[in-house]
Amino acid sequence: MKLPVSWLADYVDFDLSPEEVAEKLTFSGTEVESIDVIGGDYEGIVVGEILRIDPHPSADRLQLCLVSDGSRELPVVCGAMNFEIGDKAPLAVVGVELPGGMKIKKARIRGEESEGMLCAEDELGLSDDHTGIMLLPREIKTGTPFSEVIGPPETVLNLEVTWNRSDCLSIIGMARELAALLRTDLKIPTPEISESEARTSDGISVTIDAEDLCPRYAARLLDNVQLAPSPMWMQRRLSLCGVRPINNIVDVTNYVMLECGHPLHAFDYALVGDKKIIVRRAVDGESIATLDGQDRPITGETLLIADARHPVAIAGVMGGAGSEIGENTASVLLESAAFDPASIRRTSSQLGLSTESSHRFERGVDPEGVEWASNRAASLMAQLGGGDVAAGIVDVYPGCPGERKVVVRFDSTRRLLGADISDDCMVDILNSLCLTVTSRDESSCTVLVPTFRRDIEIEADLIEEIVRVYGVAQINESVPVSHVVPGASDMPFQMAKACRADLVGLGLSETMNYSFVSAQLLDSCCKYDADSRVVLPNPVSAEHAVMRNSLVPQMVETLGRNLSRQIQETAFFEMGKVFLKKESGEIHEEDRLCMGFMGPLGRTCLDKRRPIDKEEPFLWLKGAIEALILAKGQGQVESVAVEHPYYEAGSSVSVSIGGCKAGFMGLLREDIRRKWRMQTPVAIGELALDTVVLARNAVPELTQISMYPSISRDVAMVVPESATHEDITRIMRDSAPAELTAIELFDIFRTEGLGQGKKSLAYSLEFRSLDRNLTDEDANKYHETIKAALKKELGAEIRDS
Amino acid sequence: MNAEELAGTIQEALEEGRTAAAPEALEAIRVKYLGRKGLLPRVMKGLKDADPSERAQLGKLANQLKQELGKLLGARKQELSGASGADAANFDYTLPGQWRQLGTRHPISRVIEDTAEIFARLGFTVAEGPDVETGYRNFEALNTPPHHPSLDAQDTFWLESGELLRTQTSPVQIRVMETQPPPVRVITPGRCYRRDTTDATHSANFHQIEGLYVDKCVSLADLKGTMAYFARELMGPSVGVRFRPHFFPFTEPSVECDFSCHVCGGKGCSVCKHSGWIEIAGAGMVDPRVFKRVGYDPAGVTGYAFGMGVERIAMVKYGIKDIRMLYDNDVRFLKQFK
Ligand SMILES: [Zn+2]
Repeated sequence: MKLPVSWLADYVDFDLSPEEVAEKLTFSGTEVESIDVIGGDYEGIVVGEILRIDPHPSADRLQLCLVSDGSRELPVVCGAMNFEIGDKAPLAVVGVELPGGMKIKKARIRGEESEGMLCAEDELGLSDDHTGIMLLPREIKTGTPFSEVIGPPETVLNLEVTWNRSDCLSIIGMARELAALLRTDLKIPTPEISESEARTSDGISVTIDAEDLCPRYAARLLDNVQLAPSPMWMQRRLSLCGVRPINNIVDVTNYVMLECGHPLHAFDYALVGDKKIIVRRAVDGESIATLDGQDRPITGETLLIADARHPVAIAGVMGGAGSEIGENTASVLLESAAFDPASIRRTSSQLGLSTESSHRFERGVDPEGVEWASNRAASLMAQLGGGDVAAGIVDVYPGCPGERKVVVRFDSTRRLLGADISDDCMVDILNSLCLTVTSRDESSCTVLVPTFRRDIEIEADLIEEIVRVYGVAQINESVPVSHVVPGASDMPFQMAKACRADLVGLGLSETMNYSFVSAQLLDSCCKYDADSRVVLPNPVSAEHAVMRNSLVPQMVETLGRNLSRQIQETAFFEMGKVFLKKESGEIHEEDRLCMGFMGPLGRTCLDKRRPIDKEEPFLWLKGAIEALILAKGQGQVESVAVEHPYYEAGSSVSVSIGGCKAGFMGLLREDIRRKWRMQTPVAIGELALDTVVLARNAVPELTQISMYPSISRDVAMVVPESATHEDITRIMRDSAPAELTAIELFDIFRTEGLGQGKKSLAYSLEFRSLDRNLTDEDANKYHETIKAALKKELGAEIRDS
Repeated sequence: MNAEELAGTIQEALEEGRTAAAPEALEAIRVKYLGRKGLLPRVMKGLKDADPSERAQLGKLANQLKQELGKLLGARKQELSGASGADAANFDYTLPGQWRQLGTRHPISRVIEDTAEIFARLGFTVAEGPDVETGYRNFEALNTPPHHPSLDAQDTFWLESGELLRTQTSPVQIRVMETQPPPVRVITPGRCYRRDTTDATHSANFHQIEGLYVDKCVSLADLKGTMAYFARELMGPSVGVRFRPHFFPFTEPSVECDFSCHVCGGKGCSVCKHSGWIEIAGAGMVDPRVFKRVGYDPAGVTGYAFGMGVERIAMVKYGIKDIRMLYDNDVRFLKQFK
């Protein structure tokens, strides 16, 4: 909300700079976001009179004007069209510098001489308006310095009024705040009206059909109104508040709204059918043309102001074009009412139409303020438009708010705030805010809550009032004291944190993606899981329309995006939730860990150029997963070959940790990675985070280490390709005694000499006993047993070394 | 040369022998002390002219020089003439190191973990909850008035199931209070969602950290002290904190908490929009109506709660200009968060 400081001074006396006022308001709960100075000294700018207008010979959008500056007549080329001969406007002559820094020079514009400029409001720094030149009242003498017309520069505070304080959406509301902070008086003008003989009640009847949505509706009539522009002082105040001046009647409704926060509406009385106002809910299929020129269909719950036949306004939001104040308006029906905030909010958001009026009504206006606002507006209209105010108000008031009293206890207040505020100080603060203390004893006081402060319901609300005026800064900071809450545990968070740290230690960098993705991205990885996807009914964009059901698609995207930026080699992990729709429609959330490897990660820098073999990235990732688990756990990581839509056929496994199914890993399907221009195999794995962190939570079980020396033996063998490392090591372990303490693969090769479908593997075996020195004979015996088992079970051909 | 001087010189010779780094240096030492024109022959020659009382002593020392230095030089010569010695000239210690580098934590994780750690010192544990929440826990239980703008369908992702994607992590506080009697000290980091159009400072998907402390006599003074402690721990010892009254449905009184700008020290710069202050957290004393809803006795307990945006803290702390950088996952960006 915009608050011109000079207007504020109408209602409260203060001896503070605008910055000091801003400081006071900010630290009492209404933040001043910025302070603007609007206007300038306007040196050299005068009121010019347009004497002649000719079309520009070579430009349709320009006009040639002859303008008087009071002493000379100057040719001025002008791009605006909103004026006629005799109009007056601010004229900047050659040599003048405008507030924006633009300097007026003698110029030829499309061949025509121009010695000055007729200014629009934005060029003068008065508003953003650039719809035409700024027209000034014709009665001002030509040549008068513009600064005398517009007045000195004004300071405007831009306020962020909190949602609960609808009473602060007005100049008087803010004056009330400042008066409380300064403990000074608030000066509210008393409207003076001299009513004519005509009686309002003869001219209009008001019926409220929807009392739940309209607690009060008051109508007044004015006759013999002279429509004209408002005086400069009013226009200036309106534009300082960001409201465009229109004419004296409409301007008064806006002026009073800005002044007291109560939105008003003026109808052309002649256009209100049958002299009737009916406040009612819309009927389905109804529509209304609003003041902004739009035809708006209305639905059932919308509150309308109607005459006997048609809607004439959307209550609290915008008036109808059919009863708009116009050139021919001679009598005015002035509406001052209160509406249900929720209803106005609903309508405003349904129509996508937010106005100064709806902004206030949806936060709540005070039904008790209806009469003052009506009187104030009638009085100003009569003063400016010369109208006759009919006697009395037709005031229908079914929803009078009851009296509300709230008790605040002094000791609880002190305890809650941790501050030693005296009883007297509290009572004084409450009274200064018009929260009148009606009674008090040694422990508490009772406050009569005024109708404009409907936000105050319970004691805590009053404590808030006390502390914001007392000053939060006045409360001492207490040194925090640590306390253990018995039974509180955050193991899942701590374990995930440790997991993250180990992944970082393994050289992986953490990524983070949105929880929602495009259906297209999910489809590109797997088209067959659409049933399990949680689709957002109201997404912001198609890019973010579906909740992710896996972290893999975004991992692919992330690797691909990095590759497109020439990052060839990277290892990523992401920890995050996936969302799966069950058949019942219920949504299941699961924390996952996803890892993605791209490029020659496992190679030393001197060995990176060699082509990457398919097995390599898979084994690097597998190694990283094993390292992650074994860093803090003891569960064995087991892989079983399975097919999975994300991965290449024959290159993916399901991963179990310590016997629990954890997820899948494999080589990303080639057609997916080709889309991202990834030339080399990419390994990706996705595991259930719970399984990973639980496996890592093992308490170390120590095994005795042997003090006796070890003996090693090598086994080299030729086996069919179908024999796996796992088969071989299993056979070794099964056949060997407990003295076999380590098996290490140290060579694999395939040559033509070995024959088709064969490979050679070589292992180093370590034997060691816990309780004795092994002899060479012992080792030879074990060695032979193992070799025999390999021959028997795999048909291995043992190569003698 | 008397015996004492000779003993000193022997020590020097041995030291030179021990520290010599090349075979050439060893040879020079040998020539200097044991060579034909070196120290040893000179001492031997001088023996006969020496004071008879020192003669025996000098002889002994001369022998020691010959034996010990000879042995040392022999041993060192072997050391230096080994494989490494021969290749010393080919050793390039400026070649790139060969060990896998560490990865990096995401800046959002860093802020969350760092914050949780700071509050852990005060006895706060982390509580987490689901992203998919009920409207009740996300709004009503938090005392959100029925026509409050945050209830707008336009601002919230409602799901077909009738649930919603939580717009704040406050529902976790409700979950904690629903299941646990006071006292409560929790910190609730997590992902939240609002239907914001993404731009440099908004993201429809973001993270929050909230805190809740409920006990017999918790005061606004405690809240102030805790936020000030947190600010200094997170941003550095010179960071100041100020509080402005504000409005949140969940708390009353409510405050907004600003940290003094760590970039300019409060003098004003582009980061703090020339105000010297950066808005970081919303906070306040838990509204008694919230206690009532979760079954706590509002007459028996008080509490404070606070909440802040993780992305915002990360942006302020690390000088990130655009929130979208946090979700772009460019490794050149991520690698800077060591
Ligand atoms: Zn700064």
